[in-house]
Amino acid sequence: MASHGVSRTAAATERSEEARRKELQQIAAYKDLTDLVNAKISERQYTLEVLGLSTKLLNENPEYYTIWNHRRRILGALLSPQLSDTAPHKDPNELVQDDLQLTFTLLRKFPKCYWIWNHRDWLLRTAESVPGASNARTLWAGELQLIGKMLHADSRNFHAWSYRRFVVAQIERLAPPTTEASSQSLVESEFEYTTKMIKTNLSNFSAWHSRSKILPRLLKERTATAASRRALLASELSLICSAINTDPFDQSIWYYHQYLMSTISPACPAHNRLVLDLSNGERQEHYEHEMEYIREILDDETDCKWIYEALLYLASAYLEVEGGTQAFSTRDMRGWLDQLKRLDPLRKGRWEDLGSTLNV
Amino acid sequence: MPAEMRLFVDKHVRYIQSLDTREDELEYWLTEHLRLSGLYWGLTALHLLRHPHALPRQEILEFVISCLHENGGFGAAPGHDAHMLYTVSAVQILATLDAFDELEERLPGVRQKIGHYMANLQDPQTGTFLGDEWGEHDTRFLYGALNALSLMGFLHLVNVDKAVDYIQSCANFDGGYGTGPGAESHSGQVFTCVGALTIAGRLDLVNQEKLGAWLSERQLKNGGLNGRPEKKEDVCYSWWVMSSLAMLKKLHWIDGEKLTAFILKCQDPELGGLADRPGDMVDVFHTVFGIAGLSLLQYPGLAEVDPV
Repeated sequence: MASHGVSRTAAATERSEEARRKELQQIAAYKDLTDLVNAKISERQYTLEVLGLSTKLLNENPEYYTIWNHRRRILGALLSPQLSDTAPHKDPNELVQDDLQLTFTLLRKFPKCYWIWNHRDWLLRTAESVPGASNARTLWAGELQLIGKMLHADSRNFHAWSYRRFVVAQIERLAPPTTEASSQSLVESEFEYTTKMIKTNLSNFSAWHSRSKILPRLLKERTATAASRRALLASELSLICSAINTDPFDQSIWYYHQYLMSTISPACPAHNRLVLDLSNGERQEHYEHEMEYIREILDDETDCKWIYEALLYLASAYLEVEGGTQAFSTRDMRGWLDQLKRLDPLRKGRWEDLGSTLNV
Repeated sequence: MPAEMRLFVDKHVRYIQSLDTREDELEYWLTEHLRLSGLYWGLTALHLLRHPHALPRQEILEFVISCLHENGGFGAAPGHDAHMLYTVSAVQILATLDAFDELEERLPGVRQKIGHYMANLQDPQTGTFLGDEWGEHDTRFLYGALNALSLMGFLHLVNVDKAVDYIQSCANFDGGYGTGPGAESHSGQVFTCVGALTIAGRLDLVNQEKLGAWLSERQLKNGGLNGRPEKKEDVCYSWWVMSSLAMLKKLHWIDGEKLTAFILKCQDPELGGLADRPGDMVDVFHTVFGIAGLSLLQYPGLAEVDPV
């Protein structure tokens, strides 16, 4: 009902009589299968046989959420220790592995289907309390491989990124209690993961976003000193500045630059700050340095609107912390705003509002 | 009006009317799990096109009732399990048809039951809402619950402050919101969070300048809107992005004419309906969100849509 990227010409060809007959047969077979599964579930036949039927149906239609619910009803019964001895049964570990395999196969085909991700999450949470299933932490740790594959296929899949955050939290939660807090945490390896993803593709905003969420925690867990916090901010700035230089037309990169700038603003809430004790003098130096760097790029890229937008942002941030000596004039600001209006007519209304806000 | 700026109203009406006559297509059966939402989208599109009676009212009402469960939740179709998403669609349809009193007369006590079904899905610890008893949570469900409960006058059944706190925990540096805390900003989720905050009367919590800027950057050179930075355009974002901009009173931060032209190019000029992009297969989801986008753009002849 919500089709994406399917060409109309490919779909609109008139169905031949033969094709029509075939489709009616498919419909009949599909309806027979759904009726069968629903009837057996209403009779509470939570058996291996019905589990197999639901597998067949979900392979045909993984969006049919009620069937996923049925599957969980069946698994709940089959994984329960009170299972009668007479019914055919399977090793709990095998049942869990079967569903991991099923959801993996389906996710490769339907990477954006909410219900499949949701089932996998339920399965692993449930497996934690099933006697005889593999060690819970091992199961969760295995998920990082799946996510790696999913993000290799589509590095912006937000389901996979969200699931990754969730899985990491579960692995951390299940760390052996005797180990030190620092060795339970995956924050360092997750930080490295974002570095790897960014190096593969500078335009991967999902990776930049993830990095913005990891940094404050990373510093906290490193019990970073004021000096090492400053060093990290400097290295992040140098990373993003070289990215800007590589492709000044990429939004993702500029958003990460905006993120770093937002952390040095006096308005930044304490828990989001990278450097905790930044002075206004230091802020001013940062703003000046960034403006200088970006103005250099401007020499080669006079038609890049992101440069003018960044300059205006930095200028207004600068004015917030320093009213005296200035690295730019109101005339500069007016010039940048004019460039924005010229280069970016789509957002004309926004640039006009910005002009009134900045009073230039 | 120039030909390329024409909205094929009659064709869209016929397309929507034809949706329930496609029982000989496999796709009809494969999408049964969306039926009630599909009906809501179709009905809303017809209202915006000023053909509110093009679908038979009584049949719609009977279908909605046939999806109701004992616990007060609705499934997508008869025999499908109850879920927040379809309960919200059911409430939205009932509100559109002004049928709450009629329903209550037929099934005394049902309104309370529906309200409590949704209210009971609020997670008391975090304030967000679950989709159903199986525990999936997402800001889509939170918005849906607040929307439907406010339509029924039942907002007092839930802890709105706690829900607002949860939305706050989903905010990102760019002013946007994701599916949960820590998740990347996404236009669809921005709509759900800004919509929920609007219902809660807490738009003051939104970083309006930053979010408005981020939303305005969703417009691409071809006039269409995307859902996240460096992604492709899609007609459905005409709704998620534009309704959010409307709630922030910044609709003028994008080029409305170019967006209008893009949406109109996504029409099927022969059989009606709108697609995600020009030349693609149409569906009722993109049809309603494209038309709702046009309504926000004040396309002539369309009924006015409420951005929330």
